[in-house]
Amino acid sequence: MHKHRVVRVPLLIAFLVMSVPVMVSAQETRAGTIAEEQARKAKALAPRDPPFAEKLVLAAHKMILLQPAGVYPYFDSVYSGGGFTLGAGYRHFTGDRTHWNVAGLYSISSYKLIDAGVASRGHRSGRLDLHASVGWRDATQVSYHGLGIDSPAEGAAFRMQQTYGGGDVTLRAKRWLLLTAGAAYEGYTIKDPTGDLISVESTFSPEAAPGVGVNPSYVHTTIAAAVDSRPGADYARRGSLLQVTRHHYADRDDTYTFSRLDAEAVQHIPILRENWVISLRGRMESTLGDDDQVPYFLLPSLGSGSTLRGYSSWRFRDRHAVLASGEFRWIVNRLALDMAVFVDTGMVAPRLDAITTSAFVTDYGLGLRFHGPARTPLRVEIASGREGTRLVFAASAAF
Amino acid sequence: MTNPTRVIRALALGIAILAGSYVSGAPVRFLADDPLAREPDTQDASGVSEWEIDLTIDLATNLFSNPGDSARDVRAKNVNTIDEVPDSSWFTNRILVRPIALEELTRGPLTSEGPAPGSWTVVSPKLAGFSPGFTMLDARGVRWFVSFDAAGHPEAATGAIAVANKIFWALGYWQVENHLVTVNATQLVVGDTAVFTPESGRKRPMETRDLDAILQRAHRSADGTYRAIAARAVEGRPIGGFRYYGTRPDDPNDVVPHEHRRELRALKVFGAWTNLVDMKAGNTLDTVVTDGGKSVVRHYLQDVGSTFGTGANGPREYDEGWELLYDGSLLWKRFVTLNFFIAPWQTVDYTELPSIGRFEGDRFDPPSWQPRVSTAALRHARGDDTFWAARRVAAFTDDMIRAVVRTGRYSDPAAETLLADVLIKRRQKIAAAYLTAINPLVDFSLANDGRLSFKNAAVDAGVATAPASGYRVEWSVFDNTTGDARAIAPAAISPQTAVAAPGLLPESPGAFVRVRVTAVEPDAAAWRTPADAYFKRNSNGWQLVGLEKGTP
Repeated sequence: MHKHRVVRVPLLIAFLVMSVPVMVSAQETRAGTIAEEQARKAKALAPRDPPFAEKLVLAAHKMILLQPAGVYPYFDSVYSGGGFTLGAGYRHFTGDRTHWNVAGLYSISSYKLIDAGVASRGHRSGRLDLHASVGWRDATQVSYHGLGIDSPAEGAAFRMQQTYGGGDVTLRAKRWLLLTAGAAYEGYTIKDPTGDLISVESTFSPEAAPGVGVNPSYVHTTIAAAVDSRPGADYARRGSLLQVTRHHYADRDDTYTFSRLDAEAVQHIPILRENWVISLRGRMESTLGDDDQVPYFLLPSLGSGSTLRGYSSWRFRDRHAVLASGEFRWIVNRLALDMAVFVDTGMVAPRLDAITTSAFVTDYGLGLRFHGPARTPLRVEIASGREGTRLVFAASAAF
Repeated sequence: MTNPTRVIRALALGIAILAGSYVSGAPVRFLADDPLAREPDTQDASGVSEWEIDLTIDLATNLFSNPGDSARDVRAKNVNTIDEVPDSSWFTNRILVRPIALEELTRGPLTSEGPAPGSWTVVSPKLAGFSPGFTMLDARGVRWFVSFDAAGHPEAATGAIAVANKIFWALGYWQVENHLVTVNATQLVVGDTAVFTPESGRKRPMETRDLDAILQRAHRSADGTYRAIAARAVEGRPIGGFRYYGTRPDDPNDVVPHEHRRELRALKVFGAWTNLVDMKAGNTLDTVVTDGGKSVVRHYLQDVGSTFGTGANGPREYDEGWELLYDGSLLWKRFVTLNFFIAPWQTVDYTELPSIGRFEGDRFDPPSWQPRVSTAALRHARGDDTFWAARRVAAFTDDMIRAVVRTGRYSDPAAETLLADVLIKRRQKIAAAYLTAINPLVDFSLANDGRLSFKNAAVDAGVATAPASGYRVEWSVFDNTTGDARAIAPAAISPQTAVAAPGLLPESPGAFVRVRVTAVEPDAAAWRTPADAYFKRNSNGWQLVGLEKGTP
């Protein structure tokens, strides 16, 4: 037994002597320290588990921006004056750049829109876009204040139900030159407004509200040409737009057939490397034939978040409308935020020669715009005119 | 009579206690392998899985939050005891630590002559970034990623990639092998297995018209060819990029949080020099490679093409390199002042050449430089990190810069001159800003005869004058276990950067001495902070094992 003990002890010593350098080398070298740390981590490896917020953002990002097909949230206006709107759509591709689409919108004022369409873009080396759609729109409380720039602030309203179906073709002849032609069937049914609003039919005579009581159906043809050097139509700090559009509304029984010419000019003038931008716009809508009968609900108009911003939607209507807007914009953040002070001025008139600057109505305001490189998803403005101050929420650029 | 067994037991116990004390006793300052020359990867990383770092999440995280360690002023955790970055799967010491001939510099990471001429088989369109391009197999079956200059912007993107690629290789980063090539449309064929994802999102076989559409977006030269960059597929299994904070949870060797890696912090300086504004995870790439018989992760700074004055689609925005995409304080300032607060970029005078874009050196202010989106590593950079980086920038001679710019093969000589001139100006400004900001004494050595020498990096770079009254030098014997230093002799003043030791230094192997050097009456206040150099006596003489400086 004693002999065994004597044998075991040297073995113990030998083990300790041999193990000391090993232990020292693991603990007493920098590389050994790092190796130990790596060995510890190797025992607890796991793939990254993203936080919940990140998963949520990724899912939303995929659905809203990345997912070309399937269900998507849809934000747009049903009809001017409809208020805050929510909607959804479903898109299905049948080709590389061809898809059909069904979308619906519902606004806080119960305005409704259902639209089904087909779009096929990028033909002829990316220069030709085709589009066709059918739909139904229900604007339940569209205001009407009578004709002229002196129409009273207190007005009436109507409910407009519109069925439409048609198509258009857009050719980008040059990078800066756009040519568009379209044709559509548009059927209108005018009813009394919802709620307690006074109806147009009970308030206005046919002279003060041309076409009151009629429900016309049109073949609406459009032809437009635009010289556009802006980087994006829905957000730009430089460039210009010159656009002319001719509309022809052919009434099926020819009573209310009319033609209209729309012209718009926009110029963005950057100052000091887009530190500031002066943005100017002139716009005209003019009924072409003096004898043309235009239903009151299709007359040129002013008033809304994109025209006279200090006035309610459809505040002024007549056969001709002119508008001028100027903005002084300062770029608070190049990526996402602009501010602007603006002025809008314009008038409507029964004849072009009746338009005089002394009769123009004007508003002033301050705006905040959240934007991307080419889009303005949210515009919040406060505008003040002679009828008070209005708050504008919009999902597009003013111009 | 003494029992031999008891003696042996006592001896064994003594050895055990001794061993235990080694293991659990007070740590010594300098370990046996200090300064570490290579950061080891000891564990097998074959199980690391591929991930995709979402661009939106990455940008939003870095723009609107401060990911990574919340503590600031933390010393980089991957530096060794002489304040240098060991070679690793992230970084390889090149410029400054060894001579780099112009021929080596202009070759950079290139290991071949580029894609084999002949028929190139396109296997997929380019998926990332804005510039047009595709992936192809050359005549020898080697995979290349080809990207073109955008239509209307000849030589801009390709020139920037070609030049920056070599610069970042010389600085020490793992770089993709990028070759400038000329592509003829007739040499391209669409592969049978090529897949194309159109706007619909539905994958389908790639067709010739898809290739035509890519070439339509590329700049076509007058002779009908296209100038492009062909980037060779890197070695190993790609597993996605790396973040500039935290560690990869399934890589066992990734134990230093990335915000504490000096070579990533140093991009604050390298990025400023080259105007590398697009610093995001998406421009990095990790691959699993076999090294030393085991799988390890190698970390590439994959895309350094967002440099100088052009982007993929033309000149940079005026504020790029000057401001973050989002800066809360600036936003409020602009919000309330109607932008009557004028930033420097609004009045900078650029010499704008199409292939160079907006890149200048006269108004450049290194500490103020900003990428589009900052990173956690940049936010953690300290004076010692930027000093380390600035030394490497300063190590590029004028000749090296002009040589590396020539690899961009700009057809306009004025463009080549402009880019080189601006890089030289910016190099000097970086040296002036960062080499003077902390004590700039470096490269300490102690000869066997006891002669100490060191260098003043700021003076050597020509951005500062030597201290008026020289350097105060204090010699001590250093106890590596207790950390105590015992003065050998009274401090002495030396007008030179070489000085003899006062008397005999210890000669026993394992002995340490500390030399504390302080600038006397320097121009820069930061230089009054002493530099402590630690030398260890070994069989060959004195080895520098430690260098410590305070960071003001």
